[in-house]
Amino acid sequence: MATSVFDLPPQPYTGEKARLTRAYDYLILVLALFLFIGAFHLHVALTVGDWDFWLDWKDRQWWPLVTPLMMITFPAAVQAVLWTHFRLPLGATLCMACLLIGTWITRIFAYHYWNYFPINMVLPATMMPSALVLDVILMLSNSLTVTSIFGGMSFALLFYPSNWPIFAQFYQPVEYGNSQLTVADVYGFQYIRAGIPEYLRIIERGTLRTYGQFATPLSAFCSALLCTLMYPLWWQLGKWFATTQYLKKI
Amino acid sequence: MISKTIKTLLGTAFLALTALAGTPNSVYAHGEKALEPFIRMRTIQWYDVQWTQNKLEINDEVVITGKFHVAKDWPRSVPRPEATYLNVSSPGPVFIRTERYLNGQPWVSSAALQLGGDYDFKIVLKARLPGNFHIHPFFNLQDAGAVMGPGHWIEVAGDPAAFANKVTTIDGEVIEMESYGFANGVFWHVLWIGLGTAWLLWWVRRPLFIPRYKMLKSGMEDSLITSLDKTFAIVIIVAVPVFVLGAYAVTDSRYPNTIPLQAASDQIDPLSPTVNDGTVRIKGIRTEYRVPNRSMNMVMRINNLSDQPLRIGEFATANLRFINPSAGLSAENSALDQGPVAQEGLKVDSGEPIQPGETRTVRLAAADGLWETEKLEGLFRDADSRLGALLFFYSATGERHIASISSAVIPKFD
Repeated sequence: MATSVFDLPPQPYTGEKARLTRAYDYLILVLALFLFIGAFHLHVALTVGDWDFWLDWKDRQWWPLVTPLMMITFPAAVQAVLWTHFRLPLGATLCMACLLIGTWITRIFAYHYWNYFPINMVLPATMMPSALVLDVILMLSNSLTVTSIFGGMSFALLFYPSNWPIFAQFYQPVEYGNSQLTVADVYGFQYIRAGIPEYLRIIERGTLRTYGQFATPLSAFCSALLCTLMYPLWWQLGKWFATTQYLKKI
Repeated sequence: MISKTIKTLLGTAFLALTALAGTPNSVYAHGEKALEPFIRMRTIQWYDVQWTQNKLEINDEVVITGKFHVAKDWPRSVPRPEATYLNVSSPGPVFIRTERYLNGQPWVSSAALQLGGDYDFKIVLKARLPGNFHIHPFFNLQDAGAVMGPGHWIEVAGDPAAFANKVTTIDGEVIEMESYGFANGVFWHVLWIGLGTAWLLWWVRRPLFIPRYKMLKSGMEDSLITSLDKTFAIVIIVAVPVFVLGAYAVTDSRYPNTIPLQAASDQIDPLSPTVNDGTVRIKGIRTEYRVPNRSMNMVMRINNLSDQPLRIGEFATANLRFINPSAGLSAENSALDQGPVAQEGLKVDSGEPIQPGETRTVRLAAADGLWETEKLEGLFRDADSRLGALLFFYSATGERHIASISSAVIPKFD
């Protein structure tokens, strides 16, 4: 009999047992979907916040430093559960998919329809490429150490180039008010935000300019280093909170 | 019995709250009265704020102009105005701000203000969405909050789809800001979400939690990750970075002249003195706030150094204006801005003008219920209960001189 790439390996359950366990899968998946949409989205809104909300916060220093560092957290914790107990290499991708669903819902309904901002001014960043690579590094290595080092670094280093095709055009220069601004700066000036004056932006501040104008690679490698530490920390958090005691009774 | 009563009370409270939430009352305030009185009185002292029109069509422009004095007696508990931003309080970007000037200089970023400095400003707003909006110019002061200027209702009519906002880049490309880059952003998000979803479905299509847990625990780990899974993983680990870097390089070549976000502060000097220009000198002697009368009673020594007799025409603090009816101000002078005005709220003990060179001790009373409705009567309950205000003097020829007042306030409760 011919086999297809979509054929599944032999399974331990058949019949009614298989049907029940599959129903349980769907139940958990739906719950996980809503849980991660809410929890991860809230986590990113509170930690990355304005850097992800607004075009004119996406600078070359803090944005590529903060975003991967704060976004590797939930993926690491979820991977700890799904890989350790189920050998499912999809924790990071699942988190990012949930995050993007929540983010897009918020940007469309809260920022655009409720608060009137054009959606292009509040385009979110994507970390889906980083998440895919993180998942497959864990799967291929089956090692926390290797994933922390190479996965964590890849996660951070892929962030800026992944998002450059989305955002590069907003960094074109514009002469405005007798000054040179980016298109993104013009959005910040024109579209009124009463609670976010310009001086609140944490952009282009700090000492990462040691190598002149090459701030982005420095930020990316700094973030990569920190992600290698953040990844195992949140892996341990995930491991600590997760339990399979109910599965053992089945 | 008790639990039934509690349940009834909780049920009633729930129904009442639900009914309250469903009441279609609109909230129009921007918190302009929420800031402590001493900050509203002794930081940014607005005057002469004007709007060019109050009825617009979509794409029409309204210009807000005005002046402000930065109080020299700046509260000690408020950080110095080293980073400030002249903003517009509106319900979101129902207007866009196309231009902003401080002392005639274009102003796109933040700037420091000088204590005791005088400034004039101009903001150009372009109507974007229809509605009836209450608009204030206001200052964001770093680490202090928002100090509101006077508010004004503006009605916008028309079709929001007609709104256009074109900007030209330095390379000469004309872009429509309302939609620029949106389709491109959606394309990349859909692409990556699609690839991520494919990876998720690759795994989700097979039995997941209980069977895999059992297989893992019974030593069947090798069956959980097939060689085909590993092949896909290798493809991903190679193809994703290659694709990402390739797209990065293509984008970089498409937009070769990108620049970083601009973070400079604007440097704008104050005007030559308009307030405290040397023609009138004031020394506050005593200020009492009589709570039952809602009256600020001031005794001050005023020295007229100008060459004309001067009358006291107006006392203004925190956008609250008290007009001296005996000064005979023109309607134009007494209604320049849209702030709350007590048209007969200022009483001066003598109707005689202060002669050139004369130094006179004057008693003033600024009395009106506005002290209470504007929530300024709580000044004496502030930790820094000092008054800050502007006093407007007029000559017989209509020439105006402005002096700032600063004084401790003593409450009188009887």
